Amino acid sequence: MTYIATKVIIVTEKIILKRVAEVIEQAGGSGYTVIASGGKGSRGIRTTGSAAVVDDFSNIKIEVVTMDRDAAERIATNVAEKFFQDYSGITYLETVEILRPHKF
Amino acid sequence: MEFILNFLGSLLNQFQSPTLAFLLGGILLAAFQSKLQIPDAIYKFCVFMLLMRIGLEGGMEIRDGKIEDMFLPAFIAVTIGCGIVFLGRVTLAALPGVKTEDAIATAGLFGAVSASTLAAAMVILDENEVFYEAWVPALYPFMDIPALIVAIVLANIYLTKKKKGAETKVKIWPIITESLRGSALSALILGLALGLFAQPEKVYEGFYDPLFRGLLSVLMLIMGMEAYTRLNELRKVAHWYAVYAALAPLAHGLVAFSLGYVAHILTGFSPGGVILLAVIAGSSSDISGPPTLRAAIPSANPSTYIGSSTSVGTPIAIAVGIPLYIVLAQAVFEM
Repeated sequence: MTYIATKVIIVTEKIILKRVAEVIEQAGGSGYTVIASGGKGSRGIRTTGSAAVVDDFSNIKIEVVTMDRDAAERIATNVAEKFFQDYSGITYLETVEILRPHKF
Repeated sequence: MEFILNFLGSLLNQFQSPTLAFLLGGILLAAFQSKLQIPDAIYKFCVFMLLMRIGLEGGMEIRDGKIEDMFLPAFIAVTIGCGIVFLGRVTLAALPGVKTEDAIATAGLFGAVSASTLAAAMVILDENEVFYEAWVPALYPFMDIPALIVAIVLANIYLTKKKKGAETKVKIWPIITESLRGSALSALILGLALGLFAQPEKVYEGFYDPLFRGLLSVLMLIMGMEAYTRLNELRKVAHWYAVYAALAPLAHGLVAFSLGYVAHILTGFSPGGVILLAVIAGSSSDISGPPTLRAAIPSANPSTYIGSSTSVGTPIAIAVGIPLYIVLAQAVFEM
C-alpha cells in the first residue's frame, strides 16, 4: 500500500545549507536528505568532488518529502524568496509515492 | 644601474626555488588541461599539517622567549589589515565598471592572509638561511580577522545607505568566531597552544617538521592549478580586478615592509621578520576568507573576489612578492 506525498527538491550552494535547513523546519518539513551535487546552470558549470580550493562553494541537492502539500509549497517559496536573490539555486516539486507515512 | 642589475639577478635566482617551481608547474599542468587531480581531502590535510607545524614552532618559541616583542608587530599587522580594506574602498571601488560591494569584498580578501603564501615564504627564507622569529607567523590572525571584519562592516554601511532602509547592525562577534573556527586558523591556534603548554618537541621534530617541505610542494601544485582554472571566472568581470590583483599584493607588501623596518629600528624586529610581515600583508586569503565573505556579503559577486585573489593575487604574492622582499631586505639590511 503506497501513499501520495510531495517531494521538494532544492539545488543550491553548500554554504547556505544550515540556513536552508532552518527554513525547511520552520515551514513544516520534518526531515531532509542532502546529496553532493553538480551540473550546469545560469551561473556556470559546477563539478562534484573536484579539488576546488574552497569546498564551501560546491553545490548540494536537498530533498524534503512531506505529506502536507501546503508545507511543500511553503518550503519552496520561502527558500526561493529568502536566498535566490543572492545565491544560486533552483527548486521544484514532485509527486512521489511513499511507504510508511508516519515517517513523514 | 648596478643595483638594478643585482636586483634582477637575485630575482631570477629566486625563481629557481623549488617552492616557486611547483607553483609554476601547477599553472602549466592546468594550462595543458592535464587530467591530474589532487583530492580535496589531500588539500585539507596539507593545510592542516602546515599550520600545525607553524603553530607548534611559534608556540614553543613564545614559551621560551619574550612575548612583549610581539606587541609592536602585532599592532602593525592589525593596522595594515584594516588599512588595506580602506585603501581598496577608495581606490578599487572608484574605478569604472566596479560594483562597490564587490570591491569591498575583494579588498577584504586581499587584507586577509593566505596560509599557503606564508608557508611558502617560510621555506624560501630557510633556503636562503634568513633568520626570523618563530612567532612571526602567529601574526596571521592579527591581520586576517580585522581585515574581514572591516570589509563586512564597510559593505553593510554601503548597502544600508544604498537601500536607505533601516540600519542593519553588523554583529562583529560571529565574524570573529567564524574566522577562528575556519580550518586554517583552528590548526594554527591549536598548534600554538600545544607548543606553549605541552612538550611537543619529539612529534614536531619527528613528524611535522620533516613533512613540511614535501607537503608544501603539493600545496603549491594545487594553488597553481587552481589559479589557472579560476582565470576563467576573472575573465567574466571588469578588467580592473586583474589590475588591482596584480598591483595590490606588492603595494601592500611594500607598505608592510616599511612599517616592519620601523619596528626593526625601534625594537630590533629581525630582517627575516620584516620580510614575513611583508609577505603576510601581500597575501590574499584563499581558504577561510571567501566563505566568510560569501556568507556575510551575499550580494557581492564571488567571481570578482575569488578570481582576483586565487588566479592573480596569490601567484603574484608568491612568485613576485616573496623574491622582491628578500632582495629588498638584502639591499636594505645589507645581509
